[in-house]
Formats: sequence, C-alpha cells, structure tokens
Amino acid sequence: MTNATPAPYRQPSRSRRSWKVVDWLGSKAVAPWIFLAPTLLFAVVFFILPLIYATYISFTRWDGLQPPRWVGWSNYNYVLTVDPVFWKTLWNTLYFSGASIVIGVPFAVVLAYAFTRSRGQVFWRSVYWLPMITNVVAVAYIWRFVLDDRYGLVNRTLALLGLGAPRWLNDPSLALTSVVLIFVWMQLGQNMLLFSAGLANIDESYYEAARLDGAGETQIFFQITLPLLMPTTLFVLITNFIAGLSYFALNLVLTDGNGGPMRSTTVTGLYMYQTAFNDLRMGRASAMAYILFAVILVITLIQLRVFRRGGVEAH
Amino acid sequence: MSILKLTCTLGVALVTSTALTTFALAQDTKTIKIATHYNEEQMAPLTDCFRAYETSHPGIKIEFQQADYGDFLQTILTSRVGGTSPDIYNIYSIWAPQLASAGALATPPAEIQDWIKSAYGAGTVGAATINGTLWGIPTELSVYELIYNKKILAAAGFDAPPATWDQLHDMAAKTTTKNAQGVIDRAGYVYGPTVSNAVHVFYSQMFAEGVAPYSDDFRKTNFTSPEAIKILERQAKLFSEGVTSTTNTPDDISGGTAAMAIMANWNKYDFQTAFGDEFENTIGVAPVPNDGGAPGTMLYSFLWAVDSTSKVQAESWDLLKWLDTAQDGKPLSCTGEMLNKLGALSGNLSDLAAMDVNDNFSKPFVDAISSGAAKSQPNIWQADENERTLRGYIEQVWAGTMSAEDAMKAADAEVTAVLAEQP
Repeated sequence: MTNATPAPYRQPSRSRRSWKVVDWLGSKAVAPWIFLAPTLLFAVVFFILPLIYATYISFTRWDGLQPPRWVGWSNYNYVLTVDPVFWKTLWNTLYFSGASIVIGVPFAVVLAYAFTRSRGQVFWRSVYWLPMITNVVAVAYIWRFVLDDRYGLVNRTLALLGLGAPRWLNDPSLALTSVVLIFVWMQLGQNMLLFSAGLANIDESYYEAARLDGAGETQIFFQITLPLLMPTTLFVLITNFIAGLSYFALNLVLTDGNGGPMRSTTVTGLYMYQTAFNDLRMGRASAMAYILFAVILVITLIQLRVFRRGGVEAH
Repeated sequence: MSILKLTCTLGVALVTSTALTTFALAQDTKTIKIATHYNEEQMAPLTDCFRAYETSHPGIKIEFQQADYGDFLQTILTSRVGGTSPDIYNIYSIWAPQLASAGALATPPAEIQDWIKSAYGAGTVGAATINGTLWGIPTELSVYELIYNKKILAAAGFDAPPATWDQLHDMAAKTTTKNAQGVIDRAGYVYGPTVSNAVHVFYSQMFAEGVAPYSDDFRKTNFTSPEAIKILERQAKLFSEGVTSTTNTPDDISGGTAAMAIMANWNKYDFQTAFGDEFENTIGVAPVPNDGGAPGTMLYSFLWAVDSTSKVQAESWDLLKWLDTAQDGKPLSCTGEMLNKLGALSGNLSDLAAMDVNDNFSKPFVDAISSGAAKSQPNIWQADENERTLRGYIEQVWAGTMSAEDAMKAADAEVTAVLAEQP
C-alpha cells in the first residue's frame, strides 16, 4: 500500500478566489437571477420606480413645472370627499366595465362555440379580430359617422324602417351605452379567440360520452362546455374587467376629449388624464390612480374567490 | 515614408481637421427652437422668414416644432421635465398665469417691452400681462361676434340680423327645421361640443350685457349675477323649445345647416372654403345680441413667449422682434403675413392696418377691437380647469337637469375655490 495522495487540484492561471466567484455565479441560487436580470431591470425602471414615485406624488401638489410640495392626505381627501365629479366617473367606469362584460363575454362565447362548429373558422376569427388591429382613433371616427344623429348609417336605416332616431352619442342617458357597444365590438375578436382556444382544449370524449347518454346540444353546451370553459372564462372576465376599468382612449376620441355630454362618458381614466395633463394636478391624478387601483384589486380578488370556489376548483 | 503611411497620415489629418471644423462650427451656431400649434402649411410664411433670418444672421439656426393645440400645454410640461424645452412658445394667453407663476417664462428685456407697448394696442398688451408684468409679444387675436347665414334669415323673412336676444330667439325658432325623425336638421342657433363653444360664448354674452365674468383681481366670479343667470336661462330655452340641440354644432354654419352662432373670426377661412364666391353673400357678422346696451364681446390672444431656461433668450427676443416687424418695405411683418393668410387678426397695430380686414366679414371684428368693445378673456388661474367646470354646469342647464341659478351657484363655489389657490 502506498501513501500516494493525489496532489490538490490547482488552477493553472486563475486565483482560487476568482474561481469561487465563477462557481457562485453558476450556482442554482444565483444563475437564474442573472438570466432574469434584464427583465427585472426593465420592471424596476419602468414599473416599480414609477409606482413608488406615483405614491410619493399622490401626497404632493405638483404641476410638473415647479418642485412637488408635500400635502399629506389632502389629495385623497379631496378626491373622496369633496370632488363632485370623481364618484360619477367611478360609477361610469364600473358601468362601462361591467356592461362591456355582460354584453361582450356571452356574445364571444356563443360566437366562438358556433365558429368551432362551422367551416372557415380561420376566416371568421380573422374578420372578428380586425377591429383589434385597427387604430382606436380610426375606429372612433368611423363610429362617429355611423352613429351621427342626422346623417349616420344607423339612424338613416332606422328612418327607412319608419323608426325614431336615438341620439347615440349626444343623449347623456345613452352615450355611455353607445361607447360600451363600440368597445364590445372592438374586443369581440380577442375574446372569441381566447374562448376558441379554451374550446379546443376540451376533450372530445366528454361530448361523445354525453351524446351516448342522450344529451342534446343545449344540454351539452350548458352542462359540459360552459363548466369546462370556466378557467378561460375566469381569465377573460378578469382581464376584460381590468382593461375596462382603466380604459379611456375610445371615450377620449369619440367625445373630442370632453367625456361628454354632461360628463356621461367620462370614466375615471379619462378624468385622471384631464386632471393630470389639462389641469396639471399630478398629485391629485396620482391619488385617483391609487384609488382606482384599490377598486380594481378588490373586485379582482372577489372575482378570483367566487370563480375558484364555484367554478374552476369545482371542476 | 512609404506611400501607404503617407496616405494614412493624410487621411487621419483630413478626418481630424473636418471633425474639429464641424465641432467649431457647431459651437458657433446657436439653435432657436420655436413651438407653435400651427401646422407646417399654416406656418409656411413664417418658415420662409426663418430661412431668411438664418441667411442674414449667420450662426443662428431656427427649428420649428409643431404641437397640437389640445396637447400644447402637455408638450411644454413634458419637454421641461425632460430638459428639452423649446426656446420660444406661441401660447394661449390663459396658460400664461400658471406658466409665469411656475417660473417657466422669461420676461422680455426692457427695450422689447417698450417696443411691444408702442407697437400693440393697449387691450392686446393687457392680454399678455399678468398682475402688471408683460410676458410676451401678442400674436393672433380672436374676437367673438354673431355669425349668421344671410340666405337662411332672408328666406324666413328677416333682412337684418338680430340686435337683441329676444329677436335672436324669434329668428332662431322660425329658421329651425326638423327631419321626419324629429331630429333638428337645420338649427336656428348652435352651440357645440367644446369647452369654448359654451364658455367663450357665455363670456361674450356677459361682456355684451356689460358684466365681466370675473372680478378685477380674478379671485371671484360674477356667475351668480342676474345677467349671467338670465343669459343661461335664455340659452336653456333654445334647447327646451327644440330650437337647438347638442347634435347641432358650429360646423353646421359652414355646412349651411345652421342659421346663427356666436363664433370667432378665425372661422373665416373655413367659411370662404365652404361658400367660395358666395361667401360674402352668405355669411354676415353682427354684434353679440344683448338687451339694448352698448355692444360688448370677448377677445382672446396668443402670444410669443420665451422659456426661462433657454440659453438663447436674447437671440430669441431679437428674432421675435424681427418676425413681428415689417421687413424690406413689405406691408406686413412675417407673423402678420401668416395671420393674414389664416384670416386671423393681429394685435400688432401696423399689421392690423395693413391686413385685408375691410371686407364685410372682418370689419366688425376689427371695429370691436378698435372701439374697445371687445374685452380680453380673463387670464384666470387654472383657466382650463375652471372653464371645463363651467361648461359642465352650463350643459346641465341646457339639458334641464339644473336650474340656471343652482348651476351658477355651484359653478361659482367650485371656481372660486380654485381661484383661491393662486399665489
């Protein structure tokens, strides 16, 4: 037996310390973070820092021209207790978002279901997707022409049928609903595509089994398709609701930036925009943004809880 | 030395000297950036002048930046935050209080101020003055008067425009027509969807009734005055009686589907385009109807202002004076030439005298300026915000959801609270 112990491994040209660093960088604990670093950096610069800054700004009075001045909770206090417009805009926002879901989501489900069973699926999906890739300004202007009280295509058609002429965008009690309908039309393609993907994931064997048991098409749709579509429905509901709560581009262009008539189409996003960039009240607008964020958070948590209990987890 | 080495040496020397020369030239050239809401086509006479100025003033380069009127204040704001502010702005006078209070504007040098005071009318200089400080050179003036379609009124049996609001109401009712669906297809009188369509008209009517919309120190409103409430009640009557609606807008005047509106003179170009040779036979201008007192109306102004952070302030003021002074024996200054082509009015007295303003359309507007009947739009604190608030309450009165008195009380409370914030 020999006492020949192998000589310790020595790096030929690098110090032990530098190799330790390389090992550490390549370790499972560190390497993923290195790969994630560009994304994280992007998030920090463009999301987290602005969020922190907006929090600070919401406690200041700042017009963008002079340094911010600390005012404590007064922006929140004004928005929640004094501002005569904010609560109206919040109601408009909830109406806009809620109505666009109530009208748009069932419509998208039915269309997606119909098209999965029809010829030329790709063609129809493309047709319904087109509004999504059309500039919102173009969409708004076209609909302004279509819904014009006197010369619009819709009212001219109603005139031919001997019917009256709704003032689609000029009647305060109708204007927001008109905007909702246009928004539903814009969003329909995207929702339909999501539901189509959800429908494609449902195993055909469920349908076969149901048919063997004598289920009709209506029963299959309500008892099989809809419950199995619940994860997609949850996703569509949450994303649509969040999109609806923060959306205002269409309202801005359709109403020349006024949110009229009589603020009937002013949603909170538009009011925030006017407050920040027309009135130069950045602090107040940031406070509104955080209040809206709180509303969205609460509603989203409720949606998640309700649908997980009654829908996704149940299936 | 080999040929290769020689070539390389010469090449390096050439590149270095070119770079140094360029750098030196860049150091000598001063760039003045000018931002306006006019588009390139409207700015054409001025951009020609910029090139002429660059030729006669070596070392000065002028860059033009266009920003949409609706986004102009935001453009100033973001450019200042980003440290890329233009040196010269053409701003709406009501933006001046906030910009001046924030230290964003430079005051003109003493000799430029003297020149402004001598070359511009007193009322016009007032539009560029805040709390006694002159902040710029007035440019475009817009005055409100009653615009009417002569042919529509004549067809209804009226050969003269209304002088009082009662006459206007009567004429408007008789010239309104509706289609089979009950929609007004020709309105006797129109307002419009923008803030100014309601608020500027309201201010003009207040001045016509002899009451300023705000107190002299711009800290209180006169919205609850009997005159203001009466004006709104009369406006609301036009809506409730179906003489007008929010469907009908000032664009309908150009379309020949509205009889009357209180509008600004800058619409002249649109009317000329719409009616061509029939323009003078179709469109008439009259003082804002009132209850029989002295005529009155509102004017607003734009002004050239220089950014307080500009590194070329002196050069900017020199350029502006040059642009606003007639050159080489021409009748109009460069700014005057541009405004003349737009059909707009200038606050510059010599430009105004040389402009094509003796036609039937422009003369009443010029007369309102020269007689002092047209009063400056109040340069109040947070003007955009306050006017949007006011528009909101005016709309409620039009729709019949609030009485004129309640609406004006509410508007007064909100606006006064904002005015109290000013330093």
